[in-house]
Amino acid sequence: MKRTVFILYGLILLGLSFFSYAFIDPNLIYYKNIYSGFAFQNKTLVTILYLCFIALLFVSYLFIIKSVNRKRFNSKDVRFLIGITCVGLFFSYPAMLSYDIFNYLTTAKVLFFHHENPYLIMPIEFLGDPFLLFTHAANKLALYGPVWILFSGVPHFLGAGNFIVTLMSFKLVALIFYVLTVLLIWKLAKNLYVVSLFAFNPLIILESLLSSHNDIIMVFLVLLSFFLMQNKKYLLALLIFGASILIKYATLILLPIFIFMLWKNYKGKDINWKNIYYFSFLSMLIIFLLSPLREEMYPWYAVWFLPFIFLIPEKKNILYLSIAFSFGLLLRYAPFMYSGTHFGITPLLKIVLASLPVVIVGFSILSSRPKWRNLLQLGWRKIPRLRSE
Amino acid sequence: MGMAQKEFRVESLELRMRKIFLVILFLLALSPHQVFAESSYVLPYPSSMPGSVWYTLHLVQERLEKFWYFGNYGQFSYNLKQADKYLVEAKTLFEYKQYLLADRALGKSDEYFQRLPYYLENAKKENRDISAKMQLLKDASSKHIEILTSLKKDLPDTFNWKPERKSATELNLKEKIENSIKIRERIKSRMTYGFEL
Repeated sequence: MKRTVFILYGLILLGLSFFSYAFIDPNLIYYKNIYSGFAFQNKTLVTILYLCFIALLFVSYLFIIKSVNRKRFNSKDVRFLIGITCVGLFFSYPAMLSYDIFNYLTTAKVLFFHHENPYLIMPIEFLGDPFLLFTHAANKLALYGPVWILFSGVPHFLGAGNFIVTLMSFKLVALIFYVLTVLLIWKLAKNLYVVSLFAFNPLIILESLLSSHNDIIMVFLVLLSFFLMQNKKYLLALLIFGASILIKYATLILLPIFIFMLWKNYKGKDINWKNIYYFSFLSMLIIFLLSPLREEMYPWYAVWFLPFIFLIPEKKNILYLSIAFSFGLLLRYAPFMYSGTHFGITPLLKIVLASLPVVIVGFSILSSRPKWRNLLQLGWRKIPRLRSE
Repeated sequence: MGMAQKEFRVESLELRMRKIFLVILFLLALSPHQVFAESSYVLPYPSSMPGSVWYTLHLVQERLEKFWYFGNYGQFSYNLKQADKYLVEAKTLFEYKQYLLADRALGKSDEYFQRLPYYLENAKKENRDISAKMQLLKDASSKHIEILTSLKKDLPDTFNWKPERKSATELNLKEKIENSIKIRERIKSRMTYGFEL
């Protein structure tokens, strides 16, 4: 049984990795030999296939976390499944769902190859640079924090000037931080179920291992600072927390929580870590929900708040709603995949698809509570009475 | 004199009147006011002026920014920004007849402006396509020349600046502005006809 599950899970991931190559950008000259244009010519089929993969990944996710919770899978099985997840998605095409990885590469090139300040000089100013053909934010100054920009030098130099090697180096960095975050969650929770909630969540794995977003690094650093606080290494915790802020700025919202922890330590009082995780979840969720004010509610921003709720699985309703939301956020990609445009009905469909699973799960949670069930039934009963009057 | 001849005379008179009218129109178009070749390049607003506390802070900021604007394109942006800033400062000070300060500001603008081709040459050596930056510098030169030419006609040729309890300074304003224009014209022609590396 286990073996079949492992094989099926591995096949789903490999299938998704293979499928991701249907999305190769026509301007990506380095991949021209394997460019098919399939995703752009068969939009309906591709959207259906994508939805099937997402559904399969969520079914696998629910099955794995249930198996871990019921002790059917032990730590060795979980480690093996994490290995399958990493290998299965490492060779995928990273710009299937987002072009951000190209921005990382291009920004690193501005600093480490052209020796220019990416906060002042836009990639588009390097006329004739082949990266401009496929970089979608070439007309923007660096969007990320200095720690990320400096750190992106590691994969940039690992690539040694070869585009594909550089691209894979960026993927490797994301993979390493995904594994490190999994290990850290194990250290923080000492609970296999918590680890599984994070390690196999389709949104986490797609945004970290397929799209290779740097959000996983920011989250790793903030969790590491919490871990260091637990081990009374305050100065180091402060430095790491600062580094996390300077990856993508979002964790700045956790500053009051961090100050509260330092104050508690100063007073010699114990910290209720469950509350810390809960308020961190709420803070990161708020900043996530405010993200449309800046640009758009991008699915990978969910990596900011999901790890915190996974650390407190006791809050079942919020956990279920968060998992449903992560499913809905991955559905947000479908309207664009189908229509090929960000305009028209696409924005509305994105909102509907992202919120639909949350509404369904929310409704089922409410209907399972006797108080709410009675209220809902009362509501239904009132209508015929009014009519009869 | 026949009728046909009379009609011919009237027609030729009309033709002559029309010609005269066109000549007058042409002469009116060449009215005495001077017309400059206007550049679309936009100069910044004047920032704080010498004597203000903010001016000292701006000088510190200017020094620090030099390190932030690293790289050939970075330095190009930095020097162009400073050249523009000091030109606007000089213009404002000239208009307020603060000739000594204006003269110094123009000197700084010249200094920054003269450095610009160096960074573009370096960028070219790195095999970068600098055509857009060359056009930018050409536009900036035109704008600077436009401002300096308009300043030149309103300023005295020389001015004896005599501060209290200090020795007087003879400012050769016309020569200074002409020199600034020459610097920019030289750079503009280099941008038009290319670098000789």
